[in-house]
Amino acid sequence: MSLSLFFHLVNLESRKLMSYRVDFWITMLVNLVVNLVVLWALWTAIFAESGAEIVGGWDLPGILAYGVMVFLTGRIVRGGDLQMTISTDIYDGALSRYLLYPRHYAITKYAQQVGNVMPDLFQSVLMGLVAIPVLGLSTTATVTPLSVAMVIPTILVAHLLFFLMSLIPQYIAFWADNVWSLSVLLRFVTMLLGGAMLPLSLFPDRVQEFLHWLPFVYLFEFPTLVVLGKVDFTQWCIGIGTCLLWCLVIGALSVPVWRRGDLRYTGVGI
Amino acid sequence: MTRYLRLYLHFLRFSFSRSLEYRMDFWFRIVMDCMFYAVELIFFTVLYQHTDLLGGWNYDQVLIFVAGYLVIDAIHMTVFSNNLWWLPIYVNKGDLDYYIVRPVSSLFFLSLRDFAANSFLNLILAGGILAWAILRYPGELGTINLLWFLFLILNGNLLHYILQMYFMIPVFWTHTNRGLVMAFFSATKLMERPDRIYPKWTRRILMTIFPVLLVIALPARVLFDGPDPLLIAQILGVTAIAFLGMRAFWNLALRNYSSASS
Repeated sequence: MSLSLFFHLVNLESRKLMSYRVDFWITMLVNLVVNLVVLWALWTAIFAESGAEIVGGWDLPGILAYGVMVFLTGRIVRGGDLQMTISTDIYDGALSRYLLYPRHYAITKYAQQVGNVMPDLFQSVLMGLVAIPVLGLSTTATVTPLSVAMVIPTILVAHLLFFLMSLIPQYIAFWADNVWSLSVLLRFVTMLLGGAMLPLSLFPDRVQEFLHWLPFVYLFEFPTLVVLGKVDFTQWCIGIGTCLLWCLVIGALSVPVWRRGDLRYTGVGI
Repeated sequence: MTRYLRLYLHFLRFSFSRSLEYRMDFWFRIVMDCMFYAVELIFFTVLYQHTDLLGGWNYDQVLIFVAGYLVIDAIHMTVFSNNLWWLPIYVNKGDLDYYIVRPVSSLFFLSLRDFAANSFLNLILAGGILAWAILRYPGELGTINLLWFLFLILNGNLLHYILQMYFMIPVFWTHTNRGLVMAFFSATKLMERPDRIYPKWTRRILMTIFPVLLVIALPARVLFDGPDPLLIAQILGVTAIAFLGMRAFWNLALRNYSSASS
């Protein structure tokens, strides 16, 4: 697929989402307020009631900064979540149209998912501008121009990984009547094991070691640590490399599922 | 009343036979809910590795609180969730006509018609987790406290449904309520944490204007601290007012409904 076609699809998809402006602003406002309130209340209570100054390697402003950043970067990464996009195409027969296109279906869908990210990206930048000054400075985390520059490719790769992870549950729609539950299941697993709900440094040591062998850490925790300046250049290169390797593995796993499903597919609604 | 009960039994029969047609989805949904339960329990278990108390509750107390929340979620998924999912679609396609002309309350019919039989198994599981959390509790809970707690869980369910309806009904005017529904699901996070972690004014707002703390956090307080008549009156009073307001809102919405199909 040529780059101009790819960006044309990105543009179309993001304009479609931005056209629902009321939805766009309501979702953003409520999300920001609720997340800030819960985050602040929860961690303030934990630090006050435990009497500790450092929890899991974080001070209170540091863990609040983690919470805000994982929420903001996570929104962009989760933009790669296909939700019900592919399964709906399979059930409605809309897949037939894509099969006629001279480009692979997954690449077309990826371009559309990147388009989906644009409103989230815009919202995340706006929310960050509001939230970061509110939360104050930390001794355990610092956002610098370099860390911001490093986080951009990190988020792009994490987004691709999430997209590839959500392909297989969607392809199951070739066999199953409803895969909504699988999509939600993936979200639960990635949120907990990827560090979106809690920094992984709060888990017991052995569990942490195990979690770092899984791909989920590259979805949420790794980009957040990068933006908070907790990852040096060498660790960053290794992290990006490992994440790309996971993309290859998971992408390769999805190929036979697609091929078998494609053979099984019968187009309806043409 | 008997007519409504008989009608509801018919809903149950149809829903069970329909859900058994889609067996794979039946099992997927059970696995999904089990994972949701596991995630909630692990989240608090990890937090309690770093503190003994949260919002004044110890780990044993928070387990009961979380299990209570899981029961409420399971009842909601079983009884209301599918119905509320379809409501905006009926409104926008004009399919609501079929429900308005029936000789029963349209609110009853549209809110309870589809019983999610696959989530019903999860309700049993969530109930089991609650029973386990209560049985392993080291202190004395008291039968009266327990009965009030169980009653208030049912009330919390009704309140959860009412609050969601406030976010659904605007679809009669706006035609898309995606933003509002997303906002509601986002706001439900507030009820998943112990009430005393919130500052005074936030707590007051969450107990009156947007009363999500009355769904499970305050019923859990009744269980641990004993039935305070004022607190119980507040929970039931706010639910009653919210219900009457929601009914009035629904009737107003129906008056503004113009069928899309005609």
